[in-house]
Amino acid sequence: MATVWIPPLVQGLTGGRQVVEAPGATLRDVIDNLDAEYPGLKGRLFEHGRVRPGISVTVDGVVSNKRNRSVREDSEIHFVPAISGG
Amino acid sequence: MTLTRDKKGVAGKAPYKVIGTRPLRPDGADKVTGKAVYGADVHLPAMLYGAMLRSPHAHARISSIDTSEAERVPGVKAVVTAADLPVIQDILTDLGEGVVNLRYTSNNVLAHDKVLYHGHAVAAVAATSTAIAEEAVKLIKVEYDLLPPVLDVLEAMKDDAPIILEDLRTTELGEKREGQTNIASHIQHRRGDLEQGFAAADIIVEREFRTGTVHQGYIEPHSAVGLYNDDGHVTVWCSTQGAFGIRNQVSELLKLPVSDVTVIPTEIGGGFGGKLGVYLEPVVALLSKKAGHRPVKMTMNRTEVLQATGPTSASYIRVKMGATRDGKLTAAEAYLAYDAGAFPGSPVGSAAVVILAPYKLDHLLIDGYDVIVNKPRSAAYRAPGGTNAAYASEAVIDELAKIIGMDPLEFRLKNAVTEGDRRADGPVYARIGFVETLHAAQEHPHYRAPLEGKHRGRGVASGFWNNWGGRSSVSASINPDGSVNLLEGSPDIGGTRASIAMQLAETMEIAYEDVHPRVVDTDSVGYNDATGGSRTTFGTGWAAYEVGLKLIDEMKRQAADLLEVDLESIAYENGIFSSNGDSLGFKEIAERIDESGHPVVASASVHPEEFGPGFGTHIVDVEVDPETGKVEILRYTAVQDVGKAIHPSYVEGQLHGGVAQGVGWALNEEYVYDDEGHLLNASFLDYRIPTALDLPMIDTVLVEVANPGHPFGVRGVGETPIVPPAGAVANAIYDAIGVRMTTLPMSPGTILEALWAQEES
Amino acid sequence: MQAFDFATPTTVAEAVELLMGRNGDARILSGGTDLIAQLKEGRRTTSLVVDVKRIPEVTELRYHPESGLKLGAAVPCVVLYGDKEIVAAYPGLIDSATLIGGKQIQGRASFGGNLCNASPAADSIPAMIVHSASCLIAGPDGQRSVAVEAFCTGPGQTVLRDGEFLVAIHMPAPPVRFGAHYLRFIPRNEMDIAVVGAGASVVLDEAGERFEQARVALGAVAPTPLLVAEAGEYLAGKPVSEDVVDEAARLAKEAARPIDDMRGSVRQRKHLSAVLTRRALWKAIERARG
Repeated sequence: MATVWIPPLVQGLTGGRQVVEAPGATLRDVIDNLDAEYPGLKGRLFEHGRVRPGISVTVDGVVSNKRNRSVREDSEIHFVPAISGG
Repeated sequence: MTLTRDKKGVAGKAPYKVIGTRPLRPDGADKVTGKAVYGADVHLPAMLYGAMLRSPHAHARISSIDTSEAERVPGVKAVVTAADLPVIQDILTDLGEGVVNLRYTSNNVLAHDKVLYHGHAVAAVAATSTAIAEEAVKLIKVEYDLLPPVLDVLEAMKDDAPIILEDLRTTELGEKREGQTNIASHIQHRRGDLEQGFAAADIIVEREFRTGTVHQGYIEPHSAVGLYNDDGHVTVWCSTQGAFGIRNQVSELLKLPVSDVTVIPTEIGGGFGGKLGVYLEPVVALLSKKAGHRPVKMTMNRTEVLQATGPTSASYIRVKMGATRDGKLTAAEAYLAYDAGAFPGSPVGSAAVVILAPYKLDHLLIDGYDVIVNKPRSAAYRAPGGTNAAYASEAVIDELAKIIGMDPLEFRLKNAVTEGDRRADGPVYARIGFVETLHAAQEHPHYRAPLEGKHRGRGVASGFWNNWGGRSSVSASINPDGSVNLLEGSPDIGGTRASIAMQLAETMEIAYEDVHPRVVDTDSVGYNDATGGSRTTFGTGWAAYEVGLKLIDEMKRQAADLLEVDLESIAYENGIFSSNGDSLGFKEIAERIDESGHPVVASASVHPEEFGPGFGTHIVDVEVDPETGKVEILRYTAVQDVGKAIHPSYVEGQLHGGVAQGVGWALNEEYVYDDEGHLLNASFLDYRIPTALDLPMIDTVLVEVANPGHPFGVRGVGETPIVPPAGAVANAIYDAIGVRMTTLPMSPGTILEALWAQEES
Repeated sequence: MQAFDFATPTTVAEAVELLMGRNGDARILSGGTDLIAQLKEGRRTTSLVVDVKRIPEVTELRYHPESGLKLGAAVPCVVLYGDKEIVAAYPGLIDSATLIGGKQIQGRASFGGNLCNASPAADSIPAMIVHSASCLIAGPDGQRSVAVEAFCTGPGQTVLRDGEFLVAIHMPAPPVRFGAHYLRFIPRNEMDIAVVGAGASVVLDEAGERFEQARVALGAVAPTPLLVAEAGEYLAGKPVSEDVVDEAARLAKEAARPIDDMRGSVRQRKHLSAVLTRRALWKAIERARG
């Protein structure tokens, strides 16, 4: 199962756990499964079906906000600040 | 300048033919002879000139605006206020500088019910001459109800601070807190157990830092011409880093379909992140519509630029770090409060990533706050948030190293992140070049040169910038003479026309001189994210690489036709297409395209994600005059991991520029306000950016640790160099006079005060 | 920018007549490096601009080792420091001429204009004060002469009455064993405005060991550039030594009455007054000793 790192400000929903696991072949599946286990998680990280503005999702170190991005068994998912630049 | 190599090139080819050379930039001749068309050079028939009325107050409610007298001035053709802007709800858009709420942008462009900073635009006039427009502006009568302003970030966070945006609520990752506030958001990163980490430390250093408001300082002020045609189509010519972003904002703010807006980017005299958002563009379009569909031009003067376009955040930063006696960091805690100006959106998010990025840490806590104050809305400035953050963290690192008695570069090496280490906000680093920059700095003659003389000191600092991928589209066609027209949508702020053309030439194995790049408007090429975020040589270069491959494929087809052989048998190398002994040169085929088939064109669009961050390590020698507090920069060396330097001169140029801006930020630049919130130094006389006479030649070392995520190994380079300088200079000042400066700028007056305080204690 | 009339008189009398006709609502244009910027930015308005560069006395530059230097009010700095003889005879004035504004500004800016603009931080005025300069003024009642230290009466204000304008500045010939220097403190290296400026001139005895005369002047520490008479009086007759120079510097610091503003605090400016006076005196001494 992919590992998902939960931002500190949302860890209240996961009982304080920083790293959780969830099954799924795509990012969408993993998040949906996570939300089933920790209700409200999806709403904190996503809005109108897209990742919340100001956050980016990385899968195995690569920034990608595509919901149908494929996820491997050993994938690592992070929610990081969206940084572009100047 | 020295180049140290890591690999020959990710594309696996023999040493490059074009990449790594230093050809002349295509825009050079026009720029040095005054022919290049900048925003203020655009002239159209029947053009009118605009002028802006700006708020004299830092915080006030607008109770009435009377434009009637201004409208009656002969020569005045239109006057607009926020009443002419459509009402829009919250729309969030990504400009490339971070996400921006366009309702706030609309308010910033022309004040809605309140003015929120000194210089906030309130109304605009279009007239037959600038002089008439300026006289008419003086006749617009505005009634204000003054409100108390708040300018300091910590003051603004207090419970009893004057509230600036009445509907603002603090958000924490999607969750809104109750109650009026000036704190727009709170972010946090955490790992391990902070208490445990500090308990394991032999030495702990905690310091507080303050940095002043600083402007991007581009030499070319904002300028835009808007034409709102009778048929409803809007065309805007403007100085911008991203025409598509401007198109997006104009269409949203004026509630027009995107297809009804064309944005033509003019040549640009600097942006650094400050020319991503709209200021004049919607206003000139509105004026044009009201003035009988005549084009309207507005160009800001320097005072307006400083008063009303984004500076970057002033900040309060507290850093606490612990280390063992043998130099291993055990824990770090950082608190960052950044002021966003009048609307949310400071770069505290990226600052929170930069602040501990270079160092391996098992236990950390970072809290960041985005706070509203009555200053102009902050805009991105080269590695947004990074300079302030590194100023703080690099001073504490330096202090720890000094207490332990360890060489500062050794200390950093002992704790440096490498591939596989985890960044503060979570993700694992891929191949990075931080350690290589530290080694290169240690081995550089500058670091080994003795520094003699009184009040002289040496300092080092490191820095990180994330970089960005973004989306790029290009199209290209082959001319009968074998040259290639390349149309791209990335305004050229640092030599990217050349570096993108070089990547195309290398891909197609043709001469650089045969590639003719042009930066075109939003109708002429596919979508491009802005030139910024250190993404353009990486991203648009990649698009050029893709289009080059497609063009070669097409040319192979043409060659097969002309040679009358199967496509599979065609090989291409060094400009020659061959098959079983027969061959045709690139230019030969190009000449014969008419006879053989259809014109050869191609386009490509990319959204590359593996952009890879950049790290830099800087060394600076200073001399401080203890009687005046003046700091002289004696020698400066900037080492940076640049991935692959496509055009080394322009990469060096980015390092020079970042250092120059970092030094200005370190030594003299800051906004000065009075108690009522008036900006006192809105001119280059008293907003002190460095001149060429204030810096020595800056030595650069380009360390090439190729980015495995790009065909030529490119990493973004433009922003990293502004991150270390303030910290390096502060550490050098400490070495010179034994005073640890904790505020920016470290101007002569503040250094004198610090020296006196030290003497008196 | 409001509309204004523009005139180019070719004699002093013509210029005076033009000025009288406007009852004070006229400005003189020499290099224009202050005036044009002020008019464009709306910091000044005027109904008439009088360009005096066609009047021979205003643009002439005459030096004679016995009679001294006659500096027309509109002579640009670049012409002043382009004259080898003047550079050799008045290095203390050249210090200022190469500091005003920047290279481009010096192509047009003049000491006369710098003086009439009367900024408390003007770079030419302390130098002219320590060279005992006098100002030749023309007006409806004829010509008169005013010591340069009395010319400015407040920020942007001078002794010029309606109808009067500055024609030229006279600097006496430097006596034997005279040396002078002007320097200023700015946060950058060039192209900045003085936080404090200091000029000093000395005349030494034959052995070069004793002050016969001295003058000290400060800029940017009072509403007008300041002649620090007490410092000059103290130095006369004293031996050249560190203690003596330090005391003169202390007197300058006491005389300084600066304000707190974004360019400097009171404490910083008073401190710098002493530092710069000391440095100016030592350089003047070095020049006097040859």
